[in-house]
Amino acid sequence: MPRRLRPLLALALAPVLAGCFASGGGTDSADSADGGSRLRVALAFPPAENLSPYGADATILSRLGVTEGLTALDANGAAAPALAASWRQENDRTWFFTLREATFQDGSTVTPAAVATALTHAAQAKPAPAGLAGVTFTAKADGSTGVRITTKTPDPVLPLRLSSPSLAVLSGKAYGTKDKVDPVGTATGPFELTKVLGATAVTLDRYDDYWGGRAQAPGIDVKFVADGTARASALRTDQVDLAEAIPVAQAATLDKDTVEATATTRTTSLLLNTRKGAFKDAALRAAAREAVDTSALAKGVYEGYADPGAGIYGPAVTWAAGKRTEPAGRAKAGKPEGTRITIATYDNRPELPEVAQVLKQQLEKAGFEVTLEVREYSRLESDALDGRFDAFVGARNSLVDTGDPVGVLASDYTCDGGYNLALLCDKDVDRAVAKAADTAERQDAAMAAEAEILGTDAVVPLVHQRVITGVGGSVRGALLDPYERTLVGIGTRR
Amino acid sequence: MRHQTVTLLWRAGIAAALVCAIGVLPWLTHTDPALTVLKARSAERDPTPEVLADIRAQLGLDRGPFHLLGDWLGGLWHGDAGRSWISGNEVAPAVLQAVGVSLMLMAVALAVAALTAALICARTLWLGAHRRLDGRRAGGSGSAVLAALPEFLTASVLATVVGVQLGWLPALGWYGPQWTILPALALGLPAGAVLGRLLDDLLPGAFAEPWALAATARGLPGRTVACQALRRCLPGLLPNTGLFVVGLTGGSVTVEQIFDIPGLGRTTLQAALAQDLPVLQAGTLALVLLAAVAAGVAHVLTRLLIGPALRDGELSSLHRPAPPARTILPFVHAGLLLTVIVCGLPRDPLALDTAERLAAPSPSHPFGTDALGRDVLARVAHGALDTLLLALAITAATLLTGLALGLLPRLSGPLVDTVTALPPVLVALLVTAVVGSGTATPALAVAAVAWAPLAAHTSALLQQERAALHLTATRALGAGPWYLLRHELLPAVVPPVTRHALLRLPGIALALASLAFLGLGAQPPSPEWGLLLAENQPYAERAPWAVLAPAAVLALLGALAVTAAGGVRGARRRRGGSETAARSMPEEQSPVRQLVKQ
Repeated sequence: MPRRLRPLLALALAPVLAGCFASGGGTDSADSADGGSRLRVALAFPPAENLSPYGADATILSRLGVTEGLTALDANGAAAPALAASWRQENDRTWFFTLREATFQDGSTVTPAAVATALTHAAQAKPAPAGLAGVTFTAKADGSTGVRITTKTPDPVLPLRLSSPSLAVLSGKAYGTKDKVDPVGTATGPFELTKVLGATAVTLDRYDDYWGGRAQAPGIDVKFVADGTARASALRTDQVDLAEAIPVAQAATLDKDTVEATATTRTTSLLLNTRKGAFKDAALRAAAREAVDTSALAKGVYEGYADPGAGIYGPAVTWAAGKRTEPAGRAKAGKPEGTRITIATYDNRPELPEVAQVLKQQLEKAGFEVTLEVREYSRLESDALDGRFDAFVGARNSLVDTGDPVGVLASDYTCDGGYNLALLCDKDVDRAVAKAADTAERQDAAMAAEAEILGTDAVVPLVHQRVITGVGGSVRGALLDPYERTLVGIGTRR
Repeated sequence: MRHQTVTLLWRAGIAAALVCAIGVLPWLTHTDPALTVLKARSAERDPTPEVLADIRAQLGLDRGPFHLLGDWLGGLWHGDAGRSWISGNEVAPAVLQAVGVSLMLMAVALAVAALTAALICARTLWLGAHRRLDGRRAGGSGSAVLAALPEFLTASVLATVVGVQLGWLPALGWYGPQWTILPALALGLPAGAVLGRLLDDLLPGAFAEPWALAATARGLPGRTVACQALRRCLPGLLPNTGLFVVGLTGGSVTVEQIFDIPGLGRTTLQAALAQDLPVLQAGTLALVLLAAVAAGVAHVLTRLLIGPALRDGELSSLHRPAPPARTILPFVHAGLLLTVIVCGLPRDPLALDTAERLAAPSPSHPFGTDALGRDVLARVAHGALDTLLLALAITAATLLTGLALGLLPRLSGPLVDTVTALPPVLVALLVTAVVGSGTATPALAVAAVAWAPLAAHTSALLQQERAALHLTATRALGAGPWYLLRHELLPAVVPPVTRHALLRLPGIALALASLAFLGLGAQPPSPEWGLLLAENQPYAERAPWAVLAPAAVLALLGALAVTAAGGVRGARRRRGGSETAARSMPEEQSPVRQLVKQ
């Protein structure tokens, strides 16, 4: 090749090469004039559906302070005002919400009509958002600040339900094209999405006219890093200020003062197959419960980043411990005498196979013969729901999507439940859960139902997990909540 | 020309069959795509019948696989590769972006590999150029160990030590040239070590050929002779280098995960698990195309380098001037391995004690303990028998298949590239679809890939052998094709390919473990070696011994296979003269390249 052509070739190649790298999305130099620095955050779950608020990506939007709903969850798990300043129940199917003065990030005002449009779109989304499963409602504007919501059947937890991130309120612009919702610049939170780089990074700027006041950080640069070790490394090399969901195995490699453990509503349990196989026998279920030493799991596998299992609800559900009643009617433990059982679990959460191996030893000491089956979650679930295994070790968020304590009981432990891994079908349990679902005194009724379920020994609560967030030394005001719905707020800065 | 058209058609046929097989995969394995797509979108969502029905309606799953496949192929004709089932985004731009990233990584890794190989061969080249090769001692055990290291171990060590603790280079992301260095080192170092070792084995043969002697006698500078020797040996390595390029573009998932690189390996893995068929089909097509291009380039380069000699049958056999001295090395390796196993067998590999987790090596636990407080020495020893027996059985099977198919290069060539290019998880899913998930499935899934490099090796040897002078002579004496095959070709080809197969034994053990997460193969708490490596990987920084012990025994096994194979070479050498059995032709890319890829 003639020598003088080489620079030309290099010039021609440069854009090609640049195309082979991911765009960083980082604007490190763009710190604002008033002294604040942009936050750099590493999140664990990349957006799966283009940040659509109707799927799991809604949590990302809510954690970054982009979207808000009419209500939020407070520390005790009760509904707190957000875009709605107050609400009242008019009759058992109708609720009236009074909006506060707020603006969308595109400059338009949050009007009752806009809120009704947003909620109607969510109600019509397919598949239905998780918080709305099995619920039908209509939302209508009423006056200059009111929204009236009517449900088809009585729903005592509607305000809780509206705190679900998938019921975020977006301006009319977001719903422009058919079946695609665009949260860029159309939400109401303190931070505004400005750039979305596929599933690798997003950039956010402060929204100055936020109703709750101006956020301290001028913006956020978010990277999605799926590998837990890589997130920990990013924090250690000061590439990020906040890293969510650090695996237990990596926590010890971080500085002590950067590790923040928050109790979550996630409970890891051993679910025993009550329909088929060895654990059809309640006496053997009781034997399994007595064989399990939960504190060995909390200390030995979770290195102390978990609390020993107390019930279906853990310490993060603050009201649960005070209202817990002793399970009644438990069977007397029988003798396993070499009964063969298979325990299934998944490796998407790295601790679970370890938990299963410790369980294996504990149960074998009690006289069971245990085989393990470890797979990737989506390859395991349908077999588990079909009752192909004798026992299942899994982690489950006990307040599922709505913050309503009864939801998890109904789906996991009743005859008609959609996620009934214990294949439990017990009239007393069904009755107790149905009673809890119909009352506003849900907390007491939920605890009564919990006692009823624990009495069957269909589930052995193992540990209540704590989620580990890596918080850089200079960061103040990170919002670490047990519901994993917030992370960055107006007071977060570095 | 006709041959080339047939090959091209065959290649296109394989690609079409693959795409169709992927299109009906969920229906063959009875795994509902609505469920896997739901879980990929939102892991915590309960799979209620309403939700699944909505997803089926959204994706049009009810119309059946053939409609979907037809629509996708129809769109492809217009350059539209469909939309991802998970995100609803267009597939073509996303896959192209991932291909770009993977190719970039590949190119830098190739450069690293070339540099590594050059360093390994430098001594031989220098000695050869000065004609002082005769007395050299057999070297290369360092490069053999480097070659046998599991990829994820190199990657973890580089990321932790260079990236995090020393902070010299960025260890996370893919934002510019300096981000390419560490991952390229992790991929390129072992590959370069293998290629370098193979080249180093070939070079003495080239220097011993008559032309080299003549050139030196004529007074040509040593540098020129060395260059020509290199040119003489490179064609033997080209097919391996091609396979290396192809295999790592779609299969370097581990490295992509550790360094957080948005490459094709991760994209196709995610698509395979979620059964996101449009993405999986497009990714597979891209990989198959790349394999064809790589094979074509290797072919053209071989022609350029030694084409006329191949055509006219004017090659002399590459053989060593003197057999390498027999050493006690294999006995040392075997002795060490046996010692470890004998010491560990009386211990209990399953007894766990979480109070003793991650304990450093001590008199009571000579190799330390793992994350559940189990004795690593006991686990390594107890895992040996299972691991070795199964790996040996698979090796024997792949050796036979590889030899048989390697004899038919026109048939197997495109098949080899394609199989190497496919992500191992996809191969495992396809095998499961065909034979169901029985106890033999993981072995079959591994064997379905492992025969390919052996076949490529066989073909490469045959091509050179057929062009050798002594074969022309035998033919002139009236030997028929069967005689040639039995008495000339097979004796020349079988020993090096056998050695090569042995070299891949550790890699097969690792590949078996990498399928465990599909519910295939060994399940915890089995102490199978691949599983040991995988379960201790997250603790590599805090308890290096728990990873190093199984990695070391695997490396020892690799070294044993290599050195013992040297012994085989000595024993087999029975025909005199310009004989062929003493060849040490392309040993192929690393056994460990097959590793995990997870």
